[in-house]
Amino acid sequence: MVNRPFNAFVMAQSQFDKIADSLGLDQATKDLLRNPIREYHFSLPVRMDDGSFKVFQGYRVQHNDARGPAKGGIRFHPQETVDTVRALAMWMTWKCAVADLPLGGGKGGVICDPHNLSMTEQQNICRAYVRQVVRDIGPIRDVPAPDVMTTGQHMLWMVDEYEQIHGGRYPGAITGKPVGMGGSLGRTEATGFGVVFALREALKELGIRPQDTTASVQGFGNVAQYAVELYQQIGGTVIAVSCWDQEAQRAHTFRRKDGIDFAELRGITDRFGGISKPQAANLGYEVLPGEAWIAQDVDILLPCALENSITGESVIEIPKRVKIIAEGANGPTTPDADHVLRERGIFVIPDFLANAGGVTCSYLEQVQSNMNYFWEKDEVLGKLDVMMTSAFVAVSEMARKRKLYMRDAAYTIAIARVAQACKDRGWV
Amino acid sequence: MAEQDQRVADILRSLKERAKELNCLYQVEEITNNAEASLDDVLRGVIDVIPPGWQYPDVCAARVCINDTEHASKHFRETTWSQSAKIKVYGEPVGTIDVVYTETMPHADEGPFLKEERKLLETIADRIGSCITHRRLLETMQSMRTPAKAAPARGREWAAILDLLRRTDQSLLMRVARKMINHLCWSGVHDAEVLLQRFSPYQGIDEPDVFLESNRPRQKNSTPSATTLADEVFDLAAVNLSDDEIISCVHGWIKQDRASFLVNTLENYHTAISEVADAIQRYQHAGHGEVELSHSTRKGLLVALVRRFLSDQLEYINVAKNYVEIKDFHQLIRRLIYPARGHGKTGGKGAGLFLAYQIVQTHKDEDKFLEEIKTPKTWYLTSDGMHDFVYCNHLEDVFSQKYKEIDEVRQEYPDIVQVFKNSQFSATIVKGLSLALDDLGDKPLIVRSSSLLEDRFGAAFSGKYKSLFLANRGSKQERLEALMDAIAEVYASTFGPDPIQYRAERNLLDFQEGMGVLIQEVVGTRVGNYYLPAFAGVAFSHNEFRWSPRIKREDGLVRLVPGLGTRAVDRLGDDYPVLVSPGQPGLRANATPEEVVRYAPRYLDVINLDTNKFETIEVREFLRSTGDELPAAEMLISIYEENHLSAPLMGRVDFQRDDLVMTFEGLLNRTPFVKQMHALLKLLEREVKHPVDIEFASDGKDLYLLQCRAQAPAKSTRPAPIPRDIAHQRLIFSANRHVSNGIVPNITHIVYVDPQRYSQLATREEMLAVGRAVGKLNKLLPKRQFILMGPGRWGSRGDIRLGVSVTYSDINNTAMLVEIARRTGDYTPDVSFGTHFFQDLVESEIRYLPLYPDEDGVTFNEAFLTHGSNLLTDLVPEFTALADTVRVIDVPQVADGNVLYVLMNADLDEAVGVLSELTSQANYSDDVEKTAITHDGADWRWRARIAESIAAKLAPARFGIKALYLIGSTKNATAGPASDIDLLVHFNGNDEQRRDLLRWFEGWSMSLAEINYFRTGYRTEGLLDVHLITDDDIAQQSSYAVKIDAVTDAARKLKMSARDPS
Repeated sequence: MVNRPFNAFVMAQSQFDKIADSLGLDQATKDLLRNPIREYHFSLPVRMDDGSFKVFQGYRVQHNDARGPAKGGIRFHPQETVDTVRALAMWMTWKCAVADLPLGGGKGGVICDPHNLSMTEQQNICRAYVRQVVRDIGPIRDVPAPDVMTTGQHMLWMVDEYEQIHGGRYPGAITGKPVGMGGSLGRTEATGFGVVFALREALKELGIRPQDTTASVQGFGNVAQYAVELYQQIGGTVIAVSCWDQEAQRAHTFRRKDGIDFAELRGITDRFGGISKPQAANLGYEVLPGEAWIAQDVDILLPCALENSITGESVIEIPKRVKIIAEGANGPTTPDADHVLRERGIFVIPDFLANAGGVTCSYLEQVQSNMNYFWEKDEVLGKLDVMMTSAFVAVSEMARKRKLYMRDAAYTIAIARVAQACKDRGWV
Repeated sequence: MAEQDQRVADILRSLKERAKELNCLYQVEEITNNAEASLDDVLRGVIDVIPPGWQYPDVCAARVCINDTEHASKHFRETTWSQSAKIKVYGEPVGTIDVVYTETMPHADEGPFLKEERKLLETIADRIGSCITHRRLLETMQSMRTPAKAAPARGREWAAILDLLRRTDQSLLMRVARKMINHLCWSGVHDAEVLLQRFSPYQGIDEPDVFLESNRPRQKNSTPSATTLADEVFDLAAVNLSDDEIISCVHGWIKQDRASFLVNTLENYHTAISEVADAIQRYQHAGHGEVELSHSTRKGLLVALVRRFLSDQLEYINVAKNYVEIKDFHQLIRRLIYPARGHGKTGGKGAGLFLAYQIVQTHKDEDKFLEEIKTPKTWYLTSDGMHDFVYCNHLEDVFSQKYKEIDEVRQEYPDIVQVFKNSQFSATIVKGLSLALDDLGDKPLIVRSSSLLEDRFGAAFSGKYKSLFLANRGSKQERLEALMDAIAEVYASTFGPDPIQYRAERNLLDFQEGMGVLIQEVVGTRVGNYYLPAFAGVAFSHNEFRWSPRIKREDGLVRLVPGLGTRAVDRLGDDYPVLVSPGQPGLRANATPEEVVRYAPRYLDVINLDTNKFETIEVREFLRSTGDELPAAEMLISIYEENHLSAPLMGRVDFQRDDLVMTFEGLLNRTPFVKQMHALLKLLEREVKHPVDIEFASDGKDLYLLQCRAQAPAKSTRPAPIPRDIAHQRLIFSANRHVSNGIVPNITHIVYVDPQRYSQLATREEMLAVGRAVGKLNKLLPKRQFILMGPGRWGSRGDIRLGVSVTYSDINNTAMLVEIARRTGDYTPDVSFGTHFFQDLVESEIRYLPLYPDEDGVTFNEAFLTHGSNLLTDLVPEFTALADTVRVIDVPQVADGNVLYVLMNADLDEAVGVLSELTSQANYSDDVEKTAITHDGADWRWRARIAESIAAKLAPARFGIKALYLIGSTKNATAGPASDIDLLVHFNGNDEQRRDLLRWFEGWSMSLAEINYFRTGYRTEGLLDVHLITDDDIAQQSSYAVKIDAVTDAARKLKMSARDPS
């Protein structure tokens, strides 16, 4: 069929097939891992504010739980499809495996648009959802988390419904809960710090001292800010950050060639990571166009904001000096640009490894919840460091030994780990 | 010595006498004031206290004779030593009072009597007279009030009343008699007709003459003596009517008559407000309850009062007359400031607020949510206060200001402001303002314009005139001066260029200016150095910006901000109010915490009490420094932590450390606010019989209504008339679901993302490319003259098959966002209602429309959108691969020079996209507010003329110019008052010529900018935008060179001077 519509699951499967073939996986393992191991489709009758009832469609997909309880978010999306949920569940399996977490992959969703629902109605949906899957989720089966259009509030309703039914407290049944209600400290920092833990190991491996490096960062939001903070702490110098200017409706890059002052810049930044242009100019920052971050003569690029920001067009602007790109954002590199990076031999820390700090912190929340003992932030971040480091080392070793591009190495190690677990259990 | 002793003794004796006399008088007072005692008792009492008051009490005696009765001291007898005084009732003598000495006494001033005793006697007679008058009145009133008493017992009581009238108020008697004769005629009493003739002023004139209306003045008939006629009338009545009927008629007429002075005062147009005010006061003080008035008299009175003080708009009177009472006006005039001989009104805002408050008061028992709604203390300065001010200072010239050219008006306006501010108010007004200040205290004030034009339903004059905040600090004199200064500025704003131009466009120039002023205390509290309400905003009973299909138009809309409501009234573009639909409070425009935080109010307006200034400050900074003092702060904010928003309970906020967001979550969920707003909007809409828009504020405790008026559609959101006879080839699409109001005119380009093609794109990258192409087109196409049409949900993230992935910056120049929901199988997908950037759309007034092409009764001219040439490749060659999916249609090119209009009507829930000639919008609807952009084309015509004359003056050889072209909005006839003139110069000269040329243009540019400022009020640095291109550019088709001989929007060549001046 010509012009077959875009299907995320088909794409995820073909990505898997490629790696599976290179690993020489047997047909049964491939068949097992190409598809979810379990799926639940259900109807959610919900009482609306006006007294009427409406039936919503919900899904929970557990792609694989050979390595541990499934883990993955629940999305509220008006045009959710089961194929999207399947693809995302599969990606969760790989993501947990590459971070070497003892977790499998899952995903869930409800076809609904929270913009058209009151908070009461959303609460009713959350509770109805849990009632449908209560036997199939939980701390030892499948641990949901917030995702598109769901928040800590939704998780709190869900965990409460779960606990009401089970007649006990099971905070480990769901993660992403508000701090103080079973949530973990350190979640805000986790992703940004995780990027730099991985970056630090990459530098170590390339034999470069952090204090000899400079970096240019795309974005100044949550991820970017903590990445910049930690990178400076380990000795690096950031000379440029780009960010979105809400007023001008376009991005700017702020540059100071001898290094930005993180505290100073954060002082003039709004809640959304927008740096005040006039104030920055007063402080002596050059204000360049938004795309300029990529063309800076630095050692390290940290794309931490947008999808598809390194494209076939912009990739040619990356200076020769750039040695490492750590993908803090999801999918910042388009496939054609990725091809160029691979050719040029740039060391890429792929997104699902570089930003695995988030899911790792979710795992740590689960652990703390299960023992009902919550750590100080330092303890959380210390454990995060250890886990990110070992995850990175495993991937880079694989890349080095098998002469793989980092992205391929990460996929390979993830799939290999899951396949191994299935085999060890005697499933295939 | 002895002589001196004698004198001292005389003085002492005389003092003793005065004391006795005074004592006597007090006793008389006491006795006559005793309402319990009968008249006989009173008189007896008086007789007893008189002798001790006289010089020789032992031989003194007194007697009172009234009509036939007589009371006297025991030993009273007539003697030669006597004094006498007449007792009068209504000026008629009814009796006498006499004092005698029974024995000879030494000679004094008047026989044996002192002159002081004469005075005392007369005073006592007076007291008795008024005592009798009072008692008679009381009796009469009582008899009127208790008609239930058995009739026989009363006998001819009405006769007594008439008797009283005969002696006291003959004109009233006459009016009552006249009414009785009419009543008798109406009851069919034949003899009454005869009597009526004698009442008739036309008596003795032949009827035909009456109708011929001869020019000769008529002879006045001498009216028969009132009493005679009345007697005859009532004799006749006694024969024909029962006593009961007569008494009840007379009773009713007298009561009606009592209000007549008020009616007379009101009906006479020449009476000044002061007289009306006196009349109301007199009426109110007389203690007449309104219930005593007949229905018609009362209505008449009220309508007259409404017309006099509030508004003469019939729609307004119709509603108001049911809600006001005379006592309300009594309250109103106590806070009314008016010139000495004034005739003014309160103006639109004043009238609106007054009525809204009365409506709420009347209905507050129906709904507990209405009970607590208040209005701030308000003083009204009447509309003629401005005329008084102008005449007082001999500024009459300003009234002709409006007939001047707009540039003159603009030029002179700053002077007018200064002149006004340096002028004096009349003494009466100053006194009134001073009283107002005493009453309002030193709370900050807002001085609001309340124009008579605002009064007119339909013409939205909101925001055209000034409203000023005053900190109202300092000495009384300073405060008074600041107040007068502010009022003068508000007055001056009547003569500002914007309102004059606005009026000119609506043919309202000749309407006489009248600017009432409201002086209102600002609702709020002191927080730190600031004064502000805890929250404020505006609310509409009709919601014209619905973000969910579940919200109905009638669910209303509230725009809520922290601090003063100014930020909710205006659309700011860079800051956002919190939007709530009171009928569907659970459905918010922003669903996720990110959205809520992103679109939360960032600034608030306050009055700085230190600097006496109105200021805008940052919400976060304000909360951090003074949040602890802010009343009800917990109701206004949420704590943002790790992507989670929680509404804190009392005492759970750390203002210094927590990340706080203005969400109003507590207010909306835990207080009756939403229900109050809903009840208020519903009530006012129902009673005013028109959708309303209101302003409100709260000091953290109570909710105050600040303003109420008919909801006038804001710019571009009036319901468009939908033509019924559109030729099918002119109709591009129609819609009949979720339609809002408005007209999107003069669309020259359509960007159409084909839903089917889009869904068939094979990769995510291609879909993302569509978003990028749209973003690029958004920057290239003329602002607000193109519309975006695309599948499903614009701005999808994540699963972008649902709609094109764009951010607000990719679409911010479009005039309209159209979402197309095509049916697939038996399933029609949802549209987004623009939720991804809903609040940006609202604040930028980008319109939104969903289309359901596959539904019955809907037109969707797919051929127009998919056939015909596609400009995509010309505009953005890098996206040529998407040409099947993204189509850019040059409407005039495809449609023989016609452009697209989108007409939307929420009342009908219908919208159409039609092709029509490029015109002013007036062709579609006369009362549609003309946007600044294309009002009657004057702006582009002027620019085109200027461009031509520049070309004619330009010497091609001197500057090395091959050709001059006009491009952009002036060429396209879409230039507005702020547009510049884009000139394209085909240049082949040297550097020196280039420099000279640019300098030559710069001179023009700056002069034109100045002229344009005076014409339109738009300040620009220069009006010319000159682009130089060379032969190379044309050869390479680079930059602006593409415009020359281009497929679409080609540059227009201008004729240059034929030869150079030597």
